[in-house]
Amino acid sequence: MKQKKRDNGEAIAKSMFEMAKLKVPVIAIVIGEGSSGGALAIGVGNRVLMLENAIYSILSPEGYASILWKDASRSKEAAEKMKLTAKDLYNFGVIDKIIKEPQIDENDMIEKIAQDLKKEIKSTISQMKDKTSEEIVEERYQKFRNIQYFNNI
Amino acid sequence: MIVDKIKKREKSAKNKKTNVDIPIGKWVKCDKCKEILYKDTVRENLSICPNCGHYFRMHINKRLELIADKDTYKRFDINIETSNPLELEDYPKKIKALKEKTGLEEAVASGTCKINGEPVVICIMDSGFMMGSMGAVVGEKITYAIEQAIKLKYPLIIFTVSGGARMQEGIISLMQMAKTTAALTKLDEAGLLYISILTDPTYGGVTASFATLGDIVLAEPGAMIGFAGQRVISQTIGEALPEGFQTAEFLLEHGFIDKIVERKDLKETIYKLIQLNK
Repeated sequence: MKQKKRDNGEAIAKSMFEMAKLKVPVIAIVIGEGSSGGALAIGVGNRVLMLENAIYSILSPEGYASILWKDASRSKEAAEKMKLTAKDLYNFGVIDKIIKEPQIDENDMIEKIAQDLKKEIKSTISQMKDKTSEEIVEERYQKFRNIQYFNNI
Repeated sequence: MIVDKIKKREKSAKNKKTNVDIPIGKWVKCDKCKEILYKDTVRENLSICPNCGHYFRMHINKRLELIADKDTYKRFDINIETSNPLELEDYPKKIKALKEKTGLEEAVASGTCKINGEPVVICIMDSGFMMGSMGAVVGEKITYAIEQAIKLKYPLIIFTVSGGARMQEGIISLMQMAKTTAALTKLDEAGLLYISILTDPTYGGVTASFATLGDIVLAEPGAMIGFAGQRVISQTIGEALPEGFQTAEFLLEHGFIDKIVERKDLKETIYKLIQLNK
């Protein structure tokens, strides 16, 4: 309650601000439902990875439907329009890589995903280990700077 | 209802002791005291209700008149429009219609101007354009303005009014929060002053990015400022919210903003802050 009373907007802004300045590589991984400022507050990474069936969006589909159509029950329709799947986000250039979730026995699948993630984290770190801290910060900056979806007129 | 309005209109006319015939369409109702007011009277009063002191939202041009020295504003040469990333059917039509209706390019204007002779980079948002929401165009214009401030070594002044990130551009809008915020880290490193002025209402992804990151955060009296809306918070936590929650006054008391400044004093206050930080 205390958090809500004081409002969390500034906390999200400050978190992103500090994350943007980190001098070490940051790898953010979307593993389930990531939405709105709360997800982005811990998502300012040099690399953003995403599990194949995870979603990452501006708002929950319920919230989106509620705001755009004043009807939260149209969440399914919202989810279809929002382009929130790993594939959509990869096409937008918002995420860098999709981690496959193979349709196998659940325990084996968790093991497999964990192994794949480990491999991915290791290779990212090794790719970045020769970079200076300035280069790491600048690369992260350019990644978000270049999310540009507009036409010149 | 109509009778009430006519009565109020008569009362208002009586108060002004004028017999001028004012045509319909030139009236505006105060959201707070419900008084029907003549638009020009409100405009002449810095868009503040002469009856109860309520602050009306300001058009970009009126805000510029209030803050910038005459004829000093030069807009940045950045000409962009949304590319409709979610491929929504109505969205481009809505943007086009709004451009025509409001005479605005988008929900923010950005450029340089002088404040009592001091050069600054200034961004002004407008609630008349999709509730001042931030999509790719607003995000780019703010980021570009921050980069220009660094290049020119000017202080950065941003007036916010926004419902938050623009839903119609989905995840792309969300990413503008990180983009504008990251640009502000560079301004910070360059040691330049950033003053943000929160006006009614400032919400969502704008509150949770550049709006609250000013070195100095000012607000207009009575402005509503928050991340999530009150109804959403109250429904989520299942509790009533405290009196005055999300008002500028409440936030000042809790240390989230530095000062509440009346509209008539804004220009002078910004000028003094620039002087102090030189």
